Amino acid sequence: MKMEDMSLSGLENTKLEALAHDVYSDLVEDACLGLCFEVHRAVKQGYFFLDETDQESMKDFEIVDQPGVDIFGQVYNQWKNKECVCPNCSRSIAASRFAPHLEKCLGMGRNSSRIANRRIASSNNTSKSESDQEDNDDINDNDWSYGSEKKAKKRKSEKNPNSPRRSKSLKHKNGELSSNVNPELYKYNYSSGISYETLGPEELRSILTTQCGVVSEHTKKMCTRSQRCPQHTDEQRRAVRVFLLGPSASALPDSDTMLENDGYDAPDGQLIMSRLQWDGSSDISPSDSASSKASTNNSESKRPKKKKKPSTLTLTTTGSGGERDKGQERERGDRDRVVSGGSGSSSSQNALALSSRKKRPKLPVPPALSIYDDLN
Amino acid sequence: MFNRFQFLFQTNTSREKQMRAAINQKLIEMGERERLKELLRAKLIECGWRDQLKALCKEVIKEKGIENVTVEDLVAGVTPKGRALVPDSVKKELLQRIRAFLAQHST
Repeated sequence: MKMEDMSLSGLENTKLEALAHDVYSDLVEDACLGLCFEVHRAVKQGYFFLDETDQESMKDFEIVDQPGVDIFGQVYNQWKNKECVCPNCSRSIAASRFAPHLEKCLGMGRNSSRIANRRIASSNNTSKSESDQEDNDDINDNDWSYGSEKKAKKRKSEKNPNSPRRSKSLKHKNGELSSNVNPELYKYNYSSGISYETLGPEELRSILTTQCGVVSEHTKKMCTRSQRCPQHTDEQRRAVRVFLLGPSASALPDSDTMLENDGYDAPDGQLIMSRLQWDGSSDISPSDSASSKASTNNSESKRPKKKKKPSTLTLTTTGSGGERDKGQERERGDRDRVVSGGSGSSSSQNALALSSRKKRPKLPVPPALSIYDDLN
Repeated sequence: MFNRFQFLFQTNTSREKQMRAAINQKLIEMGERERLKELLRAKLIECGWRDQLKALCKEVIKEKGIENVTVEDLVAGVTPKGRALVPDSVKKELLQRIRAFLAQHST
């Protein structure tokens, strides 16, 4: 039974196969017939041989294969070497450059900077203040820059400083300390920076926490790129912050915004050192600390400095415990005195406490403190 | 048993004819035949078969004279070669599609 079934289906298969072939042949024959009908109609209507040309014409229009000539037989750079005389400046210009030259020469084309040229010509004759205002209009049209209105504009170099071509090559050189380029070239205001002289301390701080801020030697402007801008190093950024906001306020960009600047006189080196140590221990949880009170102290330290915090004194070393229970002066003042009486490591601890105050949410105080406890 | 074998090995029975007719009808009704036709036309043009056959037609015309050539002349002269000139890939693809259709709709 099974064999019969199999052969049955096999036969069916062959039948199906035969059927498929038949269908296919029908289709092919349909296609052939269709073609024959088309050709026959074309012949009878007379358009079958229309796409053919006679032999003579075929020779005339054959593809040309000679050097110096295209396939149609035309010379392609025939007019390249010809020169024309400009009617405006009477110079001899190459033919292919003639049109752009005319554009610039007559000051009538799209890119000819005629307004700029006109302005420069007029500024030669008028006073400086007037030309300053005109400069503002033009420059503000071109690009956005912060202190441009206030910055004194240095006057011309020989070339037109506002021409589009110039701006492209010079735009990215602000902030570089190399003096390879003629400093004159930086006088125009295509710069993408901020002039720190014109900003108040609050603005400075807010800018410095979001932007690179490194002051370019040439333009005296702050870099407006991100904190990780490749043109400047972290050292430069730190130096700028020290310079602009005072030595105690030189927290790095990756820390938080700074608290009020007390003008505290802790040495910078210790701050930096402590900061480095903080960075290393930032992943330790506060619960690991031996002195748990210090963590609460830290959270408390976020409040304004003059608040009473009896527990602050536990921050300092155990060695100088007796001196801690004093009145509530400024916390820093307390720590100062305590520190000065304490052991050598206490000063760094004090700096640690200071910087912990400044870097509040991110860095945990206790673990590093516990290190110094051990040292003591 | 003998009857069964007879049934199996007979080729052009009425049953088979019936089946063929039914399938052809289905092909047409479902529009599959048209689709297959279009597919074949497109493929033949793509592979240059059409131009080849046109050249053959030209030869037939030049042979018979442009005024007196008839459809039958063309068909007789061109169709056998046309069938042979279909490329294998096109043939295979078409057969595949037909088989698929048959497998789906033969019962």
